[in-house]
Amino acid sequence: MTSRRQLLKSAVLGGGAGVVAATAFGSLGPEAAFAQAAPDVEPGTPDPNFAEGRIRSIKDNTLFVLGSNWVFHRIRVVDGTSLWKLGPVAFDQAKPGDGLYARGVRMPDGVLAAESVWFNIVNVKGHIQNITSEKVHLDHNGKQILCHLVAGKSVAVYSDAPPSADLSQLRVGQHVQVLGAWRPDTNEVDIATVFSPH
Amino acid sequence: MHGIAAPQPYVIALFLLWAALMKLLSRRMRAQAGQTALARLVGAARAVPALRLVAVLELAVAAALLLPPASPLEGTAATVLSAGFLLYLTYGRLAAPASSCGCLGTHARPVNWRGFGRAGLLLAVSVAAIWAGPYPLDATGVVVGLAEAAALLALSAELDRHWLTPLRRLLVRLRRPLAVVAPEKIPLEVSLRLLYLSPAYCSASARLTSDVQDVWDEDGLRFVVYAARERTAVFAVPLSDGDPSAVRVALIQEPALA
Repeated sequence: MTSRRQLLKSAVLGGGAGVVAATAFGSLGPEAAFAQAAPDVEPGTPDPNFAEGRIRSIKDNTLFVLGSNWVFHRIRVVDGTSLWKLGPVAFDQAKPGDGLYARGVRMPDGVLAAESVWFNIVNVKGHIQNITSEKVHLDHNGKQILCHLVAGKSVAVYSDAPPSADLSQLRVGQHVQVLGAWRPDTNEVDIATVFSPH
Repeated sequence: MHGIAAPQPYVIALFLLWAALMKLLSRRMRAQAGQTALARLVGAARAVPALRLVAVLELAVAAALLLPPASPLEGTAATVLSAGFLLYLTYGRLAAPASSCGCLGTHARPVNWRGFGRAGLLLAVSVAAIWAGPYPLDATGVVVGLAEAAALLALSAELDRHWLTPLRRLLVRLRRPLAVVAPEKIPLEVSLRLLYLSPAYCSASARLTSDVQDVWDEDGLRFVVYAARERTAVFAVPLSDGDPSAVRVALIQEPALA
């Protein structure tokens, strides 16, 4: 791992240029974003390269996931798969019961070879009902959600300002949007980012 | 017993008076009548007339309770009305759980335990009012009456913005429950937001196929690794500087790493 990191470090620092030369790897300009072929999915049909659901069991490097529409998915996690659970995590952090969104490539045998998996990621809006020690009580359409501040992970974005680890500007009664990681089978969420309009 | 019963008609009458006047006079309340459980019960078109009818009933019971002569019938009428409120809340909770109750003012919150607590207390006060009779108020009665009124007001979610929210704001200002004690590490999200704004990320983002694979800090830089199809994209994000143009990127062919 360390040698790979050293190699990547020397690659990014050794080049000297802020943006890698276009000649080396084809165009890297913004037009590359539009040059891509449109995703080959019929409108109205499910995207075959996406899966969501909750983990039923884990065997070796495969997650057995039951979707919310009762569709069963097998999701293979490989070395290059990015895993998110309130931040990048290792595969051993995946637990049965976790919810997930996964994106990758569907193999001919039906297995989704995952490029990215996000565990328990949630995005909720609501009013701050109360703030107690390292917790924000959110009222989301009449239901209470308890949002935990996680030191070193949680940040707040006030309006257009750069994010800050200081959440103390949040006020009782204001509207916020919280991106975070759900604690399975509870009404509790660990805060990744809280967006405040002011 | 009479001492305690004596203030009950006043408590319930003032409360009903407030409810009736809110329903009759508040334009916003009429405008939002369609979103209450009442609209579900009688139909959206009849919600406003139904609201007015309830208000007239409340006004009539309040007037009977306040004006002499005192009679047990008044308390009975209030009891029937309060029992009706409780039934209506139960109906609202079961049939239209997302609707507000439209009892005492405009707020969008659905019926919760406080609403039931308030209706239950109102029912208890109404039952006690049956025995009120034409007895004079004494000191005990005044204290009990004030306590009941305070409890009814505290259970009214409509009034929270006048006392509960400011109180909680004050407590937050005094206790500072979210204050961080000298963060020893810059959260990853701070670096990622800087990364997203950088020209380096804009030039490479179309090629990224994964989320963050690996992160480490070294020499005042935070290195962030993504998969980019068959290649690997590695970004160097300055930890202390807030300038997005200082972010660097490299795309590396993976076999070279082996």
